[in-house]
Amino acid sequence: MKGRTTLIVKAKTIVVLAISLAVVSCDKNFLDVKVQGGETITTNPNLAQDLVTGVYSSLLQGDSWGNGDVHGFAFLSATSIASDDADKGSFAADQAATTGQFDTFTLTSTNTFCGTLWSGHYNGIGAANQALKALAVAAIPAATKNQLKGEVRFLRGYFYFNLVRFYGGVPLVMQVPKDAHDANTNPIYQTRADKAVVYDSIVRDLNFAISNLPLRSQSSVGHANKGAAQAMLAKVYMYLEQWDSVMSLTNKVIASGQYQLVTDYSVQFKQAGNNSSESVFELETGKFNNSNFGIANVTASQGPRVGGMGGWNDLGWGFNDPSLSLIGAYEPNDLRKNATIIFIDNSGLHKGTRLWDGFRIPSSDSVQNLFYNYKAYTSSVVPSKETYATPGDKDRPKNIPVLRYADVLLMNAEAAVHTGGDAATPLNLVRVRANLLPKGTVTLADVKQERRVELAMEEDRFWDLVRWGDAPAVLGSLGFVAGKNELLPIPAAQILLSNGKLTQNPGY
Amino acid sequence: MINKLLLLFAFILVGTSGLWAQSRAVTGKITSKEDGLGLPGVNVVVQGTTRGTTTDAEGNFKMDLAASDNALIVSFIGYKTQAIAIGSQTTFSIVMESEASQLQEVVVVGYGVQKKSDVTGAVANVKGEEMVKQPVLTATQAIQGKIAGIQVINSGQPGQSPQIRMRGVSTALAATTALFVVDGVLTDDISNINTSDIVDMNVLKDASAAAIYGSRGANGVIIITTRKGAPGKIKINYNNNIGFRQAANLVPMANSAEYANYVQAASGLIPPSSTYNTDWYSTILRNALEQTHNLSLSGGSDKSTYLFNVGYMNDNGIVIDNNFKRLTMRLNSDYKISDKVKLGLQTSYANSVNQNGFNNLDIDVNGNIGSVYNDAYRAAPIVPSIVNGKYGNTSVYQNVGNPLLDIKSNSVKVLGNRLQGSAYLDYKPVDWITLNTTFGADLNNSLNRLYNYQIIADNNTYVTPGGNQQNPLSSLNMKSTQTFRWVWNNTATIIKKIDKHEFTFLIGTTAEKYAQTFISAFRKNIPADPNLWYIGVGDANTSQNDGGGDAWARNSYLGRLNYSYEGKYLFTATLRRDGSSRLPIQNRWQSYPALGAAWVISNEKFMQNQNLFDFLKMRASYGKVGNDQIPTNAYTLTVALNQAYPFAGSGSTAVNGAQINQIIDPNITWEITEEYDLATEFGLLHNKLTGEINYYNKTVHNALINVPIPRTVGDADGLILTNAAGIQNKGLEVSLNWKDAINENFSYSIGGNATFNTNTVIALNGGQNILDGYVGNQGATTNTDIGHPVGSFYVLKQIGVFNSDLDAANYVDKNGVQIQPNAHAGDFKYLDAKGSGPIDINKDRVFMGSYQPKVYYGINGSIKYKNWDISLGIYGNAGNQVYNGKRGARYTGTDNIEKALVYNRWTPANLTQSQPAANGGNLPASSYFVESGSYVRINNVTIGYTFPATVLQRLKISSLRVFATSQNPYTYKKYSGFTAELPGGPTNSGIELSTYPTTRTVAVGVNVNF
Repeated sequence: MKGRTTLIVKAKTIVVLAISLAVVSCDKNFLDVKVQGGETITTNPNLAQDLVTGVYSSLLQGDSWGNGDVHGFAFLSATSIASDDADKGSFAADQAATTGQFDTFTLTSTNTFCGTLWSGHYNGIGAANQALKALAVAAIPAATKNQLKGEVRFLRGYFYFNLVRFYGGVPLVMQVPKDAHDANTNPIYQTRADKAVVYDSIVRDLNFAISNLPLRSQSSVGHANKGAAQAMLAKVYMYLEQWDSVMSLTNKVIASGQYQLVTDYSVQFKQAGNNSSESVFELETGKFNNSNFGIANVTASQGPRVGGMGGWNDLGWGFNDPSLSLIGAYEPNDLRKNATIIFIDNSGLHKGTRLWDGFRIPSSDSVQNLFYNYKAYTSSVVPSKETYATPGDKDRPKNIPVLRYADVLLMNAEAAVHTGGDAATPLNLVRVRANLLPKGTVTLADVKQERRVELAMEEDRFWDLVRWGDAPAVLGSLGFVAGKNELLPIPAAQILLSNGKLTQNPGY
Repeated sequence: MINKLLLLFAFILVGTSGLWAQSRAVTGKITSKEDGLGLPGVNVVVQGTTRGTTTDAEGNFKMDLAASDNALIVSFIGYKTQAIAIGSQTTFSIVMESEASQLQEVVVVGYGVQKKSDVTGAVANVKGEEMVKQPVLTATQAIQGKIAGIQVINSGQPGQSPQIRMRGVSTALAATTALFVVDGVLTDDISNINTSDIVDMNVLKDASAAAIYGSRGANGVIIITTRKGAPGKIKINYNNNIGFRQAANLVPMANSAEYANYVQAASGLIPPSSTYNTDWYSTILRNALEQTHNLSLSGGSDKSTYLFNVGYMNDNGIVIDNNFKRLTMRLNSDYKISDKVKLGLQTSYANSVNQNGFNNLDIDVNGNIGSVYNDAYRAAPIVPSIVNGKYGNTSVYQNVGNPLLDIKSNSVKVLGNRLQGSAYLDYKPVDWITLNTTFGADLNNSLNRLYNYQIIADNNTYVTPGGNQQNPLSSLNMKSTQTFRWVWNNTATIIKKIDKHEFTFLIGTTAEKYAQTFISAFRKNIPADPNLWYIGVGDANTSQNDGGGDAWARNSYLGRLNYSYEGKYLFTATLRRDGSSRLPIQNRWQSYPALGAAWVISNEKFMQNQNLFDFLKMRASYGKVGNDQIPTNAYTLTVALNQAYPFAGSGSTAVNGAQINQIIDPNITWEITEEYDLATEFGLLHNKLTGEINYYNKTVHNALINVPIPRTVGDADGLILTNAAGIQNKGLEVSLNWKDAINENFSYSIGGNATFNTNTVIALNGGQNILDGYVGNQGATTNTDIGHPVGSFYVLKQIGVFNSDLDAANYVDKNGVQIQPNAHAGDFKYLDAKGSGPIDINKDRVFMGSYQPKVYYGINGSIKYKNWDISLGIYGNAGNQVYNGKRGARYTGTDNIEKALVYNRWTPANLTQSQPAANGGNLPASSYFVESGSYVRINNVTIGYTFPATVLQRLKISSLRVFATSQNPYTYKKYSGFTAELPGGPTNSGIELSTYPTTRTVAVGVNVNF
């Protein structure tokens, strides 16, 4: 009897046990919880197009102290502050360890900006490679696909063009890493390609773009087009000193009839001149998510600074100030001088400086520096004369011209000087617009002078000096060391990471 | 045998020397000291005989005594055995005290309980009453120094939970926090649990004990049991403490004259003359009031019991405007439906308000509160803090925010509502089987609100207008987060005793699900009146919003067999099989086995003839535990959204785009920790001296880690999460406790514990080291590399100061190349580690120790004299280093300087080799910033007085104790900064950048029972 009871109890127990244990485990899909809110490559039907926009977006990187900079404060430092166009500005100690090292040619391989220029450009290249991979399999018409590919390859070519000018030969990454192991071990990512190989790749990317992109008039505003690709390739050949190619490409751009100089030089550096007839390729800014959307710190870093003198709500940090050397470079009556430089009133009359939109900057006893970059100014009066999502922010978005028609004309002139063509016509178009008298015969020195003042503060000067071989003579007194300062140091952290496979540039 | 005879003889002798009396009947009542209730089932035996009885349900007993009987021995499991002299009395009133010896304690081991003496793994136990003594937010703060093997790293900030490291750092990713199990609910955060609700905390330290929690056990498990009511009449308890907090250690900064002198020496520039002399720290710090109140009601019948507790805490931070308030309510009830069925419910509700806390930075995108400490370190004393309502403008002078305005320009508020509870049902079909089902749930809602005041840099705001510290438009940022998780455990426990063999067998399943959603919104231009701080008030044209979520599930099967032979030979086998949705399908399931064996030597026959050891046990165990605390989407490649581009320029709206900018490891798997544990536990001299010595060796073979990858692959942050690291912790834990009662008026205890731990990185995938610990312009300061502890400092070695320019010029390598070509007199001299000049701030770095202590220890003592009680807790650690990051982040010549550095600096007249000449900061990362992190601190001193019962009876109070306590009254440290107690991630801890200093608290309180 007792035995039977126990047996029943046991049976009951086992049943209860089995039920309670089984309840939870019966649902096979219990652990199949999908990622919440994370879009994957299979859940976005417009992935390829979105990724192409994403490549453009990477042009706007300005995380100079963080993950990447393409056209931000680090780019300004390496191109403009490093040149004789501009002094560092602000006060002596401000950002001495970052931008200060560019100004005084005391760069070290741990300079934060050298690291973020590297990562920023490779972020852009990575985005381009991912977009090309997605485009290869995207179900979109072939013509559209090739045009999108052309835009992406134009941008990739531009990223590499900057990299090769900054660092010389760099790792040539034209693929997406298969996985983490590939990313860490594939020598492609850690071995510097020869400079010529990088240039060769840039030329191929840009040639593809030329073949597949429509003319400016047939393409959407802001997108890369045939003219932009031709002008960019011309510039690349200029650095390679292949003057015939420069000549033929710039001639094609000129002959296309798509571009002309604007009458008022200064309008190009205001919102009103965005995407003007002179614009060949520019970095676009605007708004997103009800916020200003542009390149971080470009405007704020160059805004006139109060610097302890008091009296007004200043416009920024006061960096990248036009140098006395640049001011002295303008011929009398050159309209471009006052369009490029904000002159702080130092007369003692305390009239201040009235800017184009009516904004008044106080006189020098309330301002840190005497000269500021007018081309970086955004309308600061209240209400602003320009359109901004949040006009109250100091760091308002600002389009940046990458290629202007004037640049194309001057490239054409420079090529003509080398090939014995007509340099005067293109050069004089630029001069006359600036209210200067035309030149009869044009020398290389004339072109150099004209490039300097026409493209002043437009982040080309340093590379021009290096290209011409003039850097040691012009920048030597500022600390430039020939054979070293033509290039930036490869970021130390990346060399460390590569176990020395990545080699350092000479002198660092 | 001879011993026993001798003993008997001795008793007879003693007995015969006593009074002779007639055989007689006596009665008695035995009550528990804790609650005054009768204790049923207590053994009452005449000393030296086998004659005896047990008490009835009310605790009463009746027996006959012979004339020769001298004393009664009363014993009961879990209570102190007592000898009661018989004398001539006929009625006995005996109060039994619960057993103080830890060895007899019952410990919670996860899905069950065990006698501590039967446990084969490393477990520890702290009683609630130990913790409630201290004026702290969470119970974990109060266990610092109480348990060997657990390192608790506190922050001085109100509302902040401390960091816990169990037996060293065993992971490199964020989750180093132990798993908390509150009445069966699994959680990572117990800041909602009122310490006075806690009965005890059981800590499962080694893998064999924690293996029952499988993939959640790698960082140790802390099991919290909350209070329950006891049958009997209603009991009311009120306790409180009210006190003041202040910063425990400050760093004196230069005054205006010293500052001017230093800046001039450094840069040659004379700072503007100033009549101000601002001590920025005293501007932002205060003595803060702290108070805690608890009121509880409990009681019940033999069918049901209840406990209700309301707690309120109001803790003002030592930084102005900082405040933390918490209201907690708990209702625990238990019902006995029949002898076979029991059920119960534990519920708790917590409401918290954290004002201007530093840790709420996920919303604080524009707020400056987080930078206030760094700003206070750097702000010049020549600038006033505030004059007639106008702020001194530090940013216009030196590009540093005014620390006072850093605080006043923001309002950050975090409101928390958390409901946590569990319900259980126990069914005992037969007396040897218990079936249990427990369902726990945890609902957490939080609302973060950040308001940034409009700050116009004009004459109305500042004494001097201008500068960068301004905010042209006010803004409001709100974020609401809702988290819900549930866990359902089903277990069956079978306890069988067959002769001398005792088996306990547990099997079960658990399922757990978690879901989180957040929504955030932002608008600008909202008036400064807090009644208007709602999104709808702001300018709709400035609206921004965001939202997201997270979800995961876990499923487990578990089993455990305990076997005991005569309480001498103990054996435990555990197996848990865990599945987690956080891992890719091929790695989704993993088994966690553990084995443990123990030998209670003192229960052996041959030990009966000695009287040194009352208890002696050896144990050894092995186990595996895991960690799946990784981001839920780690193995899924997701597309980065909102990578837009405004093609049309001219202020137009951007076209949305996307990027694929992450490299992921699709084969992410669990971190598996294997641990060996060898220990002995002992009790000597009638258990006056108890102790435990424990050796452990645990290894993680595949710790998850963010490994930097070449930037050329285009990964957005240059990091990849992968199972890369092998980390080993080896160590020894020693704890000794001495307890003695000299007489009924005077008893004392003193205990100490120490943990010696060695942490080493034993493997990194492909030898990839991890640089972290970024400090200002110095870059990385730590390196996690093979052969060194995780997060070791890796910097230049400062070996002196150049006494002249010539010294610097003569500092050359073997080839005559100058090592520091730009150095001058007064500059630091660095070791040329690579052996060739010039110095390279990357290649010449050396390892300079780590934040992980070689030893950490606690000393705890208590004295009871008559109605007075005094207790003392000391905690310390040694052999660790800290990085003086705030000094390293000083980067312009106008930044203020520590007073000590003004006077100790190198000058031609003071050729010190440890401090540089006056300088403008921006020094490279070097051993100069690495300082000893060793410290010893008196954690708590408490003195209490319990009023005699005779005084209280008239007031109908059953007990009343008043006490005064001081938390952190004294710290001895070598470090020159605020505190060497610096929490952080595994690869970036021990760096003082913007740290809330530890606080010192003095409080008084009362504990009264009705």
